[in-house]
Amino acid sequence: MSDPVPGSPSSGIAEGEPDEPGMRTEFARYLPHFSLMSKQLRQTSLLIESSVVDVCKSFQGIAERAKGTVGRTAGFLSREGDGDSGKTSFEGLIENCSGTLIKILSTTEEAGEVSRRAIDRIHQMDKASQLISTALAQLEQIDRENKMLAMNMRIEAAHAGSNGAAFGVVAVEVVSQTERSKKVVSQVKGLIGGLRELAQSTLADLKQTNEQDLKRVERCRQDVDESLRDMQVAHDEMKTVLTGMTEENALLANDIGSAVRGLQFQDRTSQQIAHVVDDLETLQLKLNTRNGAAPPDGFVSGEGFSGYTMREEREIAGIGGKESAAGDVELF
Amino acid sequence: MRKVMIVDDSVSMRQMVGYTLRQGGFEVIEAEHGQDAMDKLQGSAVDLIITDLNMPVMDGITLIENVRKQPNMKSKPILMLTTEGLATKKEQGKAAGATGWIVKPFDPEKLLQTVAKVLP
Repeated sequence: MSDPVPGSPSSGIAEGEPDEPGMRTEFARYLPHFSLMSKQLRQTSLLIESSVVDVCKSFQGIAERAKGTVGRTAGFLSREGDGDSGKTSFEGLIENCSGTLIKILSTTEEAGEVSRRAIDRIHQMDKASQLISTALAQLEQIDRENKMLAMNMRIEAAHAGSNGAAFGVVAVEVVSQTERSKKVVSQVKGLIGGLRELAQSTLADLKQTNEQDLKRVERCRQDVDESLRDMQVAHDEMKTVLTGMTEENALLANDIGSAVRGLQFQDRTSQQIAHVVDDLETLQLKLNTRNGAAPPDGFVSGEGFSGYTMREEREIAGIGGKESAAGDVELF
Repeated sequence: MRKVMIVDDSVSMRQMVGYTLRQGGFEVIEAEHGQDAMDKLQGSAVDLIITDLNMPVMDGITLIENVRKQPNMKSKPILMLTTEGLATKKEQGKAAGATGWIVKPFDPEKLLQTVAKVLP
């Protein structure tokens, strides 16, 4: 004989009522699964939250490192440099190098200018010695004329006889003075000659050195200009790289922002799981009570299922209401 | 530096909102629920509060009502950041004294723009 169907007149059991003890046994078998499902859902929610928290921490690190790298590079390149450490910026280094090199070139050019002035003065000294030589030549001419004069004086003294004796003495003295003058002139000529040779050789050396210095200065100037151009090119390239890095940083920030928006699924998922867990626990409680267990204090049958807080939940449950879309912002 | 308090029972939400605000140059204080926020407000002045609605211990609406009772907090901007988008709930928040209502998920750039708008 089959078991009476609940609700049938012969069953003695009202429709919807559990038939003792079959239904209770059936309930009792399945009720523990509600606890298990609740625990598993909670665990799942916690695992998801833990992963999202780790990802958020990574974003923080990525953003800070990117910002730090760009900031340090910008500080290195900028004119201000790094005030905290006292280090000079790259632009500052270029300016310092440029200033130092220009000072070195100026100093070298000044040295060259001194050489040129020395050359000019030696030229002037040479001209002066030429004039002295000319004056000596004139003195020699005077000596020769004096000698001729003295000869004539002696001849006239001889013609004058005893009256010309004094004249003869003067003539002899003139010849003597002339001879002495000739010796002095000869000495001076020798000295002038030596001085002129010295001046000529010094002049030749100075000219050679000056020409070499000029060539070296010119080569240095070209090398300096080339080095400064290379440094400027390197600086410009670094600035271009920095601009690229700054743009990449902005794009990275945008990407992280998009990821932050996407990761918020975890919060909504956790809430939905929590609502399902709450409902499972409520269901378990209701079925336990229905199965004959004593209800907890304050428990009211027919109530207790979770109020939905998200549009998606209300849509599934068929509950309507005017509501804003996700991401909406309203200021009161 | 301006200081913002974030109130949310979700660790990940506090992290994401905190990251966004720090990128925007703000200092951030976190609280797990309304009561935690009230306790922390005793010891620290903030320029703005951003709070979730559904939290254990003390929910967002109750938090706003309690904050508005403080003499120095009557005009402090308070933004609600919640998955709840129902018009009736918004009205409750507005009546309690909320300055604005943002429905999750939030857009980081929009959040910073909103914060800039509400801060004096």
